Amino acid sequence: MTDWQWFIIDILQAFAAGLLVGGTYGLMCVGLGIIFGVMRVVNFAHGDFMMLGMYAAYYLVTGFGVLAFLGPYVAPIVGALLAGPIVFAIGWVLHRFLIANVTGARVVSAEAEGHYAQIILTLGIALVLANGGLILFGSLPISVQTPLSRESWAIGEVLLNKARTVSFFIAVAVAILLYMFLTRTSLGKALRAAADNPIAAAYVGVDVDRAHRLAFGLGVGITAIAGGLIASSQSFQPYIGFDFVIVMYAGVVLGGMGSILGAFWGGLTIGLVQQMSTLVLPYQLQNTAIFVVFLLIIFFRPQGMFGRVWERT
Amino acid sequence: MGVVRILPVLAMASAVLIAPTPSVAQSEVKVGLIAPMSGPWARQGDLMVKGANLAIDDINKAGGIKSLGGAKLKLMVFDAGDSVEKAKNAAQRMVAQEPDLIGATGAWLSSFTLGVTEVTERVELPVLTLSYSDQITARGFKFVFQTSPTGGAQSVSTLPALVRMAEAATGKKPASVAIISDNTAAPMSFAKPMREGGIEKLGMKLPVDEIFTPPLSDCTPLIQKVRSSRPDFLLLLPTAISDDKLCLEKMHEFGLGRGRVPVISNGAHIGAPDLLKNLGKDLLEGVMTVVANWGAKGQDDIIKSFVAATGEPWITQDSISTYGDMMIFKEALEKAGVADRRKVAEAIRAMDTTTGPAHYFPGNRIKFDENGRRVGADVVIVQWQNGVPLTVYPPTSAVAEPIWPKK
Repeated sequence: MTDWQWFIIDILQAFAAGLLVGGTYGLMCVGLGIIFGVMRVVNFAHGDFMMLGMYAAYYLVTGFGVLAFLGPYVAPIVGALLAGPIVFAIGWVLHRFLIANVTGARVVSAEAEGHYAQIILTLGIALVLANGGLILFGSLPISVQTPLSRESWAIGEVLLNKARTVSFFIAVAVAILLYMFLTRTSLGKALRAAADNPIAAAYVGVDVDRAHRLAFGLGVGITAIAGGLIASSQSFQPYIGFDFVIVMYAGVVLGGMGSILGAFWGGLTIGLVQQMSTLVLPYQLQNTAIFVVFLLIIFFRPQGMFGRVWERT
Repeated sequence: MGVVRILPVLAMASAVLIAPTPSVAQSEVKVGLIAPMSGPWARQGDLMVKGANLAIDDINKAGGIKSLGGAKLKLMVFDAGDSVEKAKNAAQRMVAQEPDLIGATGAWLSSFTLGVTEVTERVELPVLTLSYSDQITARGFKFVFQTSPTGGAQSVSTLPALVRMAEAATGKKPASVAIISDNTAAPMSFAKPMREGGIEKLGMKLPVDEIFTPPLSDCTPLIQKVRSSRPDFLLLLPTAISDDKLCLEKMHEFGLGRGRVPVISNGAHIGAPDLLKNLGKDLLEGVMTVVANWGAKGQDDIIKSFVAATGEPWITQDSISTYGDMMIFKEALEKAGVADRRKVAEAIRAMDTTTGPAHYFPGNRIKFDENGRRVGADVVIVQWQNGVPLTVYPPTSAVAEPIWPKK
């Protein structure tokens, strides 16, 4: 094969990697998009909920082997999907007893809409989850064992990692389902109303606290599914959340505050920029490239790619 | 009671308060261990603690420090965390909270050791380190002792050994090598002499030379470059197990694994039991790593007792080096005859032995030069063979023959 042919393959391979990695980033961003983009709750613990999703998938598939009967190809996928409801429940409880005190209708008139208290509280939750994880799960890097992570489908000379490809399609499907839930069901509409204007929503009979709790649970649960999917490709330990939280916030802002689809595109864009920038820039500048593109988009479109004009970043 | 009568009482009381408390000092001597106990490198810190605890148990069971009347060693562990900033803060806490430490070992990651030793040097606390970076002992510090060969020295002695190994197996000299490394201090130190002419001097080309910031999110573009350039071997130099997994799995996925492109790494993480759990033995077969220390020929006793005491399947560099560090402190305390950090540092500086602690380091000699580098420190090459990382180089320490793929 000539150098030119290899060069074209390099480009296609980086594009494929960016798309597949970006799909999972997109799902993470959708999760945060509900909490930060729609509800406007600053959640610094979001990466740590993703970490919980990873451990939930690990224990279901490899640790306790509850899903081992499904085999090494199906079990990791089911494990990742089940991580969602598990972390949803944790998020629900945490919101009920802690986060509800600094969000929703009761902080509408508070300074900065309660954001200062949210930052401190969620930062505290992040520390408790990461360090609690260290005590509970240990410091050993682990991963969900599956042959999917080391096999690929070939399209000509371009190889698509099976675990990443499956994760990508699941991420797209979950994001679409969530979008339909939020836009087509009355519960979803109530949830958006409670997020947009809690007081007005309460006047029309929406249980704002419950809606916020549901949104928070959904947000962390969806990010946990993304974490469960990543757990097949990447080894992790309790501190992994921090590596992803910046990417998630950048994705949500890039996509446009308040837009669920925008959050997905934001995550996807980050994945593509992260992987494709290595074709022209030193690998070390991978994450710098993300933020250069981020700043450029925000410069030319302050509302993000899909944000509403009045909701500037 | 008159003032005259009170004075002797006050004098006695102040004498008691001011005078050193020999009984306390001699019953217990504190040694510090500062290493990552949280964050992505926590496992390596854990392995260091296991090595240190075993050594301290062995020392204390054998009667403690005899020149101090049988004083027992006590390990004080400090978490260096996951950043240089945290490591430095931990060092500050260590020297403030434990002013009677006689020495310390740490801090695993070279970047952390560089930060930690800036603090310990100011209070003249001797620090033994297994970290690789050349910088650690190139700053004119007097209280840092590097038991490992520096990254630069490792690279200088490793590359010709690898070329010889390849030539012996394939019958021809390798023509090209690829380097993929992260940007932490140790891999940068290791790769520097190679990048700056070492590879060229051996008549080889360097078609791929990539540096990344850990942790990786995906390894595809990196390994794609190896796939399109097909070097004769790959120097894969990450420091985190998550990056090892991503890269080695990608090698396998792209049809470059299992020796099609031989992989040589640097550091103990590639030989850690955790990697076996994450990757399985098939993907690791034949992968080599260059380390400063490993369980070797003639160390059966320590390996057996380590396995029995900790449940670990084998002893890695992090554990055996830290075990050896405790033995160096013991030897220094015996020589110094006093639990004083400066005297202990002096004793380490004056040490020249091929017995005792020397048994736990390749080259079997403990002597430090004026920069604090161990004289005669040599590299060890370890290779995964049938699910176990075995020492294959140097021949004096090797427990197995190296296998170089003939394809």
